[in-house]
Amino acid sequence: MVDRKSSDTPFLGGPDTLEAKVVEHPFSFAGSRDRELNALVVEAVNRMGGSGEHAEDRYQRALAPLRERAGEVVDVVFAEYEAQPEESYLDRWSLVYLLSELRDPGAVQPLNRIITTRIPAEKAKESHDTSTVTEEVMIRTTAVEGLVRLSAEGVEEARKVLLRHAKHQRLSIRRACVQGLMETGEDADRKELRALLKERGDEGLLRIKRIDVREAPQAIGGRFVVSPDVKREPPPHDLGREGED
Amino acid sequence: MATCTYTVPDKNASGDNFYGGVICNQAYVDYFWNTYGFSGNKVYWDDGWGWDDCCNTNKPLARAFNGCYALTYSAQDYLNDSYSSAILNWGRRYVRENIDDLRSFCGDGSAIARAKGGGLVEVYLGFFYTKDVPGRAETLIHEARHQGGKPHNANFPTGSTFGSGKSGADSTWDYEGAWMYGALYLWWYYAAGARTTSALRERARQRGNVVIDNAFATHPGFSI
Repeated sequence: MVDRKSSDTPFLGGPDTLEAKVVEHPFSFAGSRDRELNALVVEAVNRMGGSGEHAEDRYQRALAPLRERAGEVVDVVFAEYEAQPEESYLDRWSLVYLLSELRDPGAVQPLNRIITTRIPAEKAKESHDTSTVTEEVMIRTTAVEGLVRLSAEGVEEARKVLLRHAKHQRLSIRRACVQGLMETGEDADRKELRALLKERGDEGLLRIKRIDVREAPQAIGGRFVVSPDVKREPPPHDLGREGED
Repeated sequence: MATCTYTVPDKNASGDNFYGGVICNQAYVDYFWNTYGFSGNKVYWDDGWGWDDCCNTNKPLARAFNGCYALTYSAQDYLNDSYSSAILNWGRRYVRENIDDLRSFCGDGSAIARAKGGGLVEVYLGFFYTKDVPGRAETLIHEARHQGGKPHNANFPTGSTFGSGKSGADSTWDYEGAWMYGALYLWWYYAAGARTTSALRERARQRGNVVIDNAFATHPGFSI
């Protein structure tokens, strides 16, 4: 690779070129003719990525009408999840998280199916920093989080599904189920879980504790210090068109 | 020289729609361009990459700027970038001090980004289009840590989502390698990220946990 610091140096290698094609949103809603509901789903997913002082308020406002119709929304969102291309990891994740946010007991079985679905073989075998299996596991741990929320709200079926997946092949999914059930389950659930882990020789999962970041060992970043004289402060955070978010 | 194409959804959860509305200001463009390694690398951000259309979040440069905005402003008290504060504060400083040149390429799909030594970091299509906005900040911190002198020093553990026994893991959390920096940044973003949503914070938590579970040869024994 040619080292290049000056933009007017003749450049023999030639840079890459990119053509980006734009679509309005990633969803098809092939199974839903309710255009109003479909638009609400698109808006809620879009608002997940909000930025600015009012981002959370606006996201919650986008969720509210969906929660009022949670029963039918669960079906539409899950159908859309199943229709997504496998490699649309972020979009699939956003639909799973939306299922979780609905906090509707009707989401238990869709979330269970998401976790149960076989994880496809790794597509980025030569990479160490990108992994399709990791993306798939993240989608499933987010589904677990949805079950944990329902368990916390007393949905027994959610607790049963958490117990079932406490023996999942993937560590992160087992760990999330174990932590979630220990935190939100009833005494009988915890007893059954401990027995399961003992039987499987997987009691080590109980020792992985959720802690506050302030209790975790921190990184020591200061290899050297830039003199305040040469340090340039960033502009204020709110110069842009924040009012539009 | 390679030519690549990508289909970009205008509305999804990546955060680009909203961060994009904020970064379209000359003060930010100037700051990011001159602070995070873009300067002197115009040729790598031209030809469809967005140099002449730097507010258009369908294109890579604006999406990189979005990541830079998250990196710079996600701490409530972002002006404090002291190394005695949280990585949410000083992550931007660490990137600034370790990445001299940031260049975009199509890539071959086998990496999101690569630290090439000498302060040069390459970012590939996945950086712009598969990572959400905070995830791009995490990637810059990860690669900056490599530039700061910490290569991966272990193989991924048995059962790791990144591939059992493959090289590219860090031995322990205390090694303070690139995985630890990235996970710790995501952890702080989840716990204290400002000007964002609970959804992006939860996504940071989920990714951070998967990294903690799978990218260290010895599990740290905690989770987010």
